Amino acid sequence: MPAIVVEGLERSFGEVLAVQGVDLSVEEGEIYGFLGPNGAGKTTTVRMLTTLLLPTGGHATVAGHDVVKQARAVRATIGVALQEAALDPLMTGRELIRLQATLQGLPSAAGKQRADDLLERVDLVAAADRRVGTYSGGMQRRLDLAAALVHEPRVLFLDEPTTGLDPVSRKTIWEEVRTLNDEGTTVFLTTQYLEEADQLADNVAIIDSGRIVAEGTPDSLKTEIGNPHIQLQLAAGSIAAAEEVCARVGKLLPPVDGRTVLVEAANGAADIPKVVRALDDAGIAVESLELVRPTLDDVFVAKTGHHLEKRVPATSSAPANA
Amino acid sequence: MPEESDTDRDLLPRSEVAGWEAIRVNARVVWALGMRSIRQTFRRPQLMAPIVVFPTLLLAIQTGGAGGAVNLPGFPPVQSFLQFMLAGAMMQSLMLAGNSGGIALAVDIEMGFTDRLFSAPIPRYTIVLGRLAGTAALGLFSSLWFLAIGLIFGAQIESGVAGALIAIALVTATAMAVGGIGAAIALRTGSASVVQGLFPLVLVVLFLSSAFFPNELMIQPAKAIAEYNPLSFVVEGIRGPIVSGIDATELAEAVLAIAGIVVLGLVLSARALRHRLRVG
Amino acid sequence: MEAIVTQPQWRANLATIAALMARAKNELLRVPGAAIPGVLAPTIFFLGLNGVFGALTQLNGFTTGTYESFIVPVSMLQGAGFTGAAAGVNLARDIEGGWVDRLLVSPAPRWVLLAGTVLSASARALIPATSVFIIALALGAGWPGIDGLLVTYVMVAAMAAVAACWGSSLALRFKSQSAAPLMQAGMMGLILTTTAYAPLALLQPWMRSVAEVNPVTQVMDAARQGFIGDVTWAETWPGLLALAGLLVVLGAWALREMRRTAV
Repeated sequence: MPAIVVEGLERSFGEVLAVQGVDLSVEEGEIYGFLGPNGAGKTTTVRMLTTLLLPTGGHATVAGHDVVKQARAVRATIGVALQEAALDPLMTGRELIRLQATLQGLPSAAGKQRADDLLERVDLVAAADRRVGTYSGGMQRRLDLAAALVHEPRVLFLDEPTTGLDPVSRKTIWEEVRTLNDEGTTVFLTTQYLEEADQLADNVAIIDSGRIVAEGTPDSLKTEIGNPHIQLQLAAGSIAAAEEVCARVGKLLPPVDGRTVLVEAANGAADIPKVVRALDDAGIAVESLELVRPTLDDVFVAKTGHHLEKRVPATSSAPANA
Repeated sequence: MPEESDTDRDLLPRSEVAGWEAIRVNARVVWALGMRSIRQTFRRPQLMAPIVVFPTLLLAIQTGGAGGAVNLPGFPPVQSFLQFMLAGAMMQSLMLAGNSGGIALAVDIEMGFTDRLFSAPIPRYTIVLGRLAGTAALGLFSSLWFLAIGLIFGAQIESGVAGALIAIALVTATAMAVGGIGAAIALRTGSASVVQGLFPLVLVVLFLSSAFFPNELMIQPAKAIAEYNPLSFVVEGIRGPIVSGIDATELAEAVLAIAGIVVLGLVLSARALRHRLRVG
Repeated sequence: MEAIVTQPQWRANLATIAALMARAKNELLRVPGAAIPGVLAPTIFFLGLNGVFGALTQLNGFTTGTYESFIVPVSMLQGAGFTGAAAGVNLARDIEGGWVDRLLVSPAPRWVLLAGTVLSASARALIPATSVFIIALALGAGWPGIDGLLVTYVMVAAMAAVAACWGSSLALRFKSQSAAPLMQAGMMGLILTTTAYAPLALLQPWMRSVAEVNPVTQVMDAARQGFIGDVTWAETWPGLLALAGLLVVLGAWALREMRRTAV
């Protein structure tokens, strides 16, 4: 039985349709990534699946229970770590985990034991009896994650678990997620970071403006889009000229910033010489050149016409809305 | 000591022009800051509401609950308890306005907006004056509000239009004076929560005056304190034209009391400014 | 993976309420000076009202000798109203900060979550009440007797619960601390449009009409008994009934808002 089933899920706020007809299915034991830019509808979807928000259309089941009609049963089986770490700065880490244990219905002695175990697991033993207000961002996320695990949930929801964290803390959270998954927990994770979805998720759904625009394993999505591209770093001032030259010998892709030019390379490395020659003939100096294989951002661009990480609309390539 | 005179000069115009030109330039600055302060005040009704709504609520409750006081032997001749209480309600409102002006200034300091002003070539006093414009506007508004409430519920202004104008003028002036004290506290502490925490003090000071009851009928020791509380003189000055005729002595005492508060506010503000500029 | 063994629901509920109350006390014990406003405001009001309106006892119709005795219960109930409303403000702050999401996502029943807030307010209200009471005694208010004191404290605790239900309803409805003035003003209005300043007969006609229908008047009179005379069941039960009614109505509203947070 799938751990999560979503059919036609919708949520409107007045006039605004934040989530419009989302369908997805997550198998038990999977890590499912929900990838999209800010405002795409990720958090709204998670809030509906965790019974914090009522859908205005469609339905969903988590661990076999309907999120609207059997909300309490859902809550008993899920663990949740939200984007705003729901922590109390005046409590100590240990007190917080014990409170969570009580909320989940664990008897006092079991709660104590779980607190000890979890604090050790997320490496917060030293800070356990300090107030949460004194914790760093990384420590707070780890505590939030530990609290979500108190009752050994079958399904774990993580809403942007590493946003705002330094790279080391991010890696730590990733390792923990993998370990949890190895132990059999289904993980539903939302993120705006390509690398996170790429690295962690078994299956990825890309969401933009409330709709799923692509779904599949990271590899299959990238293969579908297919083509690598050539990334050229040029001196400021020669961008426009370079774009013109490149457009004549190949297909230009939407720029990511003002200092690089991107050219599609359907034939991989074989396309490099003609681009270099054309620029050389035109007297344009190239600072650096790289052959970049497709990423989930390319998938995003292909489906929506703009980049995932920087909202620059496509200029020459036509958006292909699947 | 040489340090002191340097900063003394900082409080005075630093522009190269002198005389009338300087006054005109600074007036424009005060106007601009004043408009900002007024806009801030009236653009956020949820902040404004407590300043007017709470005193109105208290006015209703106290006239309804303690209105029988007019029958006490020794109570001054008034048309109604409401007529008596209007001045007290205005006092409460203007003091809350002064407190809230202080909070606004403290928020500006916390957010760094005042740093921007301090580093501009404008004299320091314009910053405080600009802030006080908002407080004065609130004072004006509340005096009009309570006069209207009084009229709607049957209280008469015994001295007519002239009396109303005097009351309005006194309330606006006192609002500014109290605002100066609020500003001084804001400048000294730089913390909005500290200024906000002083709000209960407002109530204390009012209870220890003749804002809500005639001084002669109060109970010791509140009675003794109220007799010498400068706010009592202000309240009597506002109340006089409403419940009876315009009394020159009462008026003079009120103006003197307000002047006293203004001076206190100026002195405290100047010292607080000096402290802030030294401490940074 | 099997779920961890949990305790019977009723036990889990009690444990949750206790844990939420334990958390609530952190506000007082771990934030320096946090208890002061709650204690200061009613005390100031008591001293102020006494100094300003004390002469009212000279009017015909006042059966007490001292105004202190008359208004002690007023200030104690005000403290209850203030504490309960503050619980609502704290809930609004917790909603804004995301803490309440943690509670809502857990399997704890909604009424249990509400009970935690309301019962802590009841307990906390005893602090300003005691402060006012001690000061009043020092100023010459009569000793109300153990029965009078007990009745007063029960009224105070229940009134705080009523105020907490009111504050919580607003917090859950508006999900914002800017509703705080409404929480405070509402309780102030409810408690003071009663026989707070004077006996029923001496109130202005419009105030008398309001006080006659205001259930808190019964509460006020019941809480005042010991301070101005003897405590009788006849004077006490209307107060209890009024509080029960208010708790049912406001409690139901709060519970409904708690359940509707997902909307």
